[in-house]
Amino acid sequence: METTIKVIEPKNQWADRLLNFWRVFSKSRIGIVGLVMLMVIVLMAIFAPAIAPYDSSSSASVEIDDIYNPPNSVHWFGTDDAGQDVFSNFVFGARVSLTVGFFAAFISIIIGGVTGLVAGYFGGRWENVLMRITDIMLVIPDLPLMVVIVALTQPSLLNIIFVIGLLGWTTTARVVRSQTLAVKSRKFVLRARAVGAGNGHIISRHILPLVMPILVVQGVLVVSLAILNESALSFLGLGDPTALSWGQMLNYAFGRGAMSIGAWWALLFPGFGIVWVVLGLTLLGQGLEQVLNPRLDTHHLLPGRPAIQRGHVESRQAKGALLEVQNLSINYINEGKPAARAVEDVSFTLNKGELIGLVGESGCGKTTLMLSLLRLLPSAGQIVNGRVFFNGQDLTAISDEELNLVRWKEISIVFQGAMNALNPVRTVGDQIAEAIIKHMPAIDHDKLQVRVIELLDLVGIAADHKEQYPHQYSGGMRQRAMIAMALACDPQVIIADEPTTALDVMIQAQILELLDSLRRKLGLAIIFVTHDLGVVAEICDRVLVMYGGVTAEYADVDTIYNEARHPYTQELLKAFPDLTKPKKKLSSIPGYPPRLEALPAGCRFAPRCPAAFDRCHTEQPSLSEIGEMHFASCHLIEASK
Amino acid sequence: MNRTRTLLKKLAWSIFTILFVIVLNFFLFRVLPGDPARAGVRDPRLKKEAVEMLRVRFGLDKPVINCFESLNPIKLGSCTVNPLDTQFFIYVRNLLQGELGISYHTNRPVADILAERLWNTVLLIGAGQILSIMIGVVFGVFAAWKARTAIDYSAVITSLMAWSLPTFWLAILLLFWGSNNGLPLAGKATPGSSALPLLQQWADIGIHMILPTLTYTIIYMGEYTLIMRSSLMDVLSEDYILTAKAKGLSTFQILKDHALKNAMLPLVTVIAINLGFTVAGAIQIEAVFSWPGLGLAIFEAVGRRDFPVLQGAFVLIAIAVIFANFLADLTYNYLDPRVQTE
Repeated sequence: METTIKVIEPKNQWADRLLNFWRVFSKSRIGIVGLVMLMVIVLMAIFAPAIAPYDSSSSASVEIDDIYNPPNSVHWFGTDDAGQDVFSNFVFGARVSLTVGFFAAFISIIIGGVTGLVAGYFGGRWENVLMRITDIMLVIPDLPLMVVIVALTQPSLLNIIFVIGLLGWTTTARVVRSQTLAVKSRKFVLRARAVGAGNGHIISRHILPLVMPILVVQGVLVVSLAILNESALSFLGLGDPTALSWGQMLNYAFGRGAMSIGAWWALLFPGFGIVWVVLGLTLLGQGLEQVLNPRLDTHHLLPGRPAIQRGHVESRQAKGALLEVQNLSINYINEGKPAARAVEDVSFTLNKGELIGLVGESGCGKTTLMLSLLRLLPSAGQIVNGRVFFNGQDLTAISDEELNLVRWKEISIVFQGAMNALNPVRTVGDQIAEAIIKHMPAIDHDKLQVRVIELLDLVGIAADHKEQYPHQYSGGMRQRAMIAMALACDPQVIIADEPTTALDVMIQAQILELLDSLRRKLGLAIIFVTHDLGVVAEICDRVLVMYGGVTAEYADVDTIYNEARHPYTQELLKAFPDLTKPKKKLSSIPGYPPRLEALPAGCRFAPRCPAAFDRCHTEQPSLSEIGEMHFASCHLIEASK
Repeated sequence: MNRTRTLLKKLAWSIFTILFVIVLNFFLFRVLPGDPARAGVRDPRLKKEAVEMLRVRFGLDKPVINCFESLNPIKLGSCTVNPLDTQFFIYVRNLLQGELGISYHTNRPVADILAERLWNTVLLIGAGQILSIMIGVVFGVFAAWKARTAIDYSAVITSLMAWSLPTFWLAILLLFWGSNNGLPLAGKATPGSSALPLLQQWADIGIHMILPTLTYTIIYMGEYTLIMRSSLMDVLSEDYILTAKAKGLSTFQILKDHALKNAMLPLVTVIAINLGFTVAGAIQIEAVFSWPGLGLAIFEAVGRRDFPVLQGAFVLIAIAVIFANFLADLTYNYLDPRVQTE
């Protein structure tokens, strides 16, 4: 039975991996530049005898006039203090510097790799002892220690390699340990252990392949450090006198009057060689890092993309509506790939004091929609059509300064996961006060403090917690603090983005009750985002069900619960228990919402829809009014009309 | 309560590390073959009495430590000797009394030589650190804020290039540059300047500091830029930055009130860990500019194989770095509220 599983030959797998790796790496520009820079020097070192015009070891023909000659047609880089050709020495020096760099780095990588692997994998006492040793070695300044050891032993190339290698492993050990720790708890490792695989097998087959990439990046870095250290040691007078490395060339030139004679060539070129190699290695390391550990260099302060409007239809806000979203479409722009259509043609209206529920599974564009209302989308997100009217202003078109006056003062947000939404190094009271100061700069200190305490009291947090930091709060308290913060400027609209998802059921109920009572007390309009229809059943006025970025169904809460027409809404309703129908069978919808980069051609729900027919797979249904204030987008409903 | 406990733990750890350095230093100079005192003892040309005199002079007649007569671990010795009369404890006692031996070259106590040099190094590293951190932070903030723009890319490339420069080579280049611009090239003060009024003396030192400090700043600025950039990038991707933006705060307010402190905290740790590396830079800079600090002392001692000075300088630098690390830990604990109350 077991033998049939192994189909892929490991050799092919490695070749595949390597090829795949190269494909990605070749896109990293700085990585390629670094690799080329390094290869130039490596080739120069390998073919040194063919390239160098003079044999560096013979100084038989040197005459007194040959000393410190400036660069000329015979000696391209001039001559040094011994009358030797600097260019030839430079070419042969590459051999020495690279040898030291690579061999020393090899020793460091082996020691650091094994230390990190053992500490990370076996943990416990092993880890304790090894990491303590690593910490000690990390603190001890390495160059002075190298100087002492090399001075006490013979300054030979071998000694230098060993000293640099034996002292340069600490960072590698740390990096490898944390990677091993991360890999160790992955599922396939746990599974391998559960079926009784030995430590050796797990390490070599499961851990090492995932630690290797980091080890390679680290290796590149360690080589460059070793080359720098060798040059520093040589310059300080501890180089091998028989092996003329670049550092050694600089030591001779500097110590033997190149400065006072003005023989810049004897000092410039060897140093240039070091910079070239180290920079090449650094760029290569950066390139590898980008490939192996891709980091999206994006953050919330990057300028957003300006909203664009498809048609030139002059639209205006409906009378009486507080917030009106008209035909909003949002794309995520990925360079080199088709845009992901995260939200498409969504409209809804929010009146004063109303609570609207925005329902759908994760990945249906709910959060994108909410963030776009205040133009808080990540830099890849762009409003590609539609308008957001608030008090007669189109929020998609006004300037940042104007928008900053609406943000929080008129529309505020309760984010999901309040732990991360609150700044960990500022007190909760301070963060609430900040919002008030921003929008009411004239408020005096005492009034401000009174207001903060009042807000905390409103959500049931005692005043003495004001000066505490978010990590001192419990999960429910943080969420309530977040609500207090959202209320700080008496906004007209609060967007609550899954405010209860991470909390336990009791706290969930409390938060819901709190929001509902605040709405009644303060006359707030609330947009409540959730993936749980059950949660909003009691408090919502209207429900907008989203699927795959489009409106599936939009109606008042009674219609949704009693006369849902869209199969998706019906499936969602089946997924939560109803106390009035105790015998109802709970079921979940098989599958997942579509990936936004690969939307199905027809109805986005068709692949999971129990009632899908041919047309659903080819044509996208449009949103149509099927009853009074009841909208749905489904071919089934259209057909039954 | 817990805060004091972590501090005591850190303190104990620092002391343990210092002890380790002291022990390492003892064995390095006895195991490795280069020490002339011990080499002299083995010199076959010396008469027996002379060897004995040398042994007594350098304390080599005493057992290494209790139970061990010599460094040969198989050859055990008496365990009942007075521990204070063994080589190791004499070494520790001397160290505790600040006695680091006599320089082979100048015949002066090593402690005296190093004491006058220490402050020059502290001055150089201090000035260089402050400048490179300030510039690095500013560049890093700009690079992160303007991420994926020309400003960002040029800051990163410049930093990588600065990182790749061998310190002593940059020092040499700046030496050339300085010699064409009339800056003082060597030492800490113009000879005879001690007769001048204090203010002019300081100005003189300041002018002498320009080139060494500039070298130091360029070398480490790049690293701090990269660290600050990546730290700030991490912080700016956090949810609380989105909260701050939703509050209607301006970009400047968000950077100032929400991002900088959070991003600076990891920098404190990095600066501490980096101190050991920056010492390496200081040694090379002092060697090129003859700045009379510990680095120059090491450079000169290497040339003269003046081992007591090397040994003393190593111990002193190691202890200073460990101590500075401890201070950085204290600062971090003080700055980060999460540590204070956990």
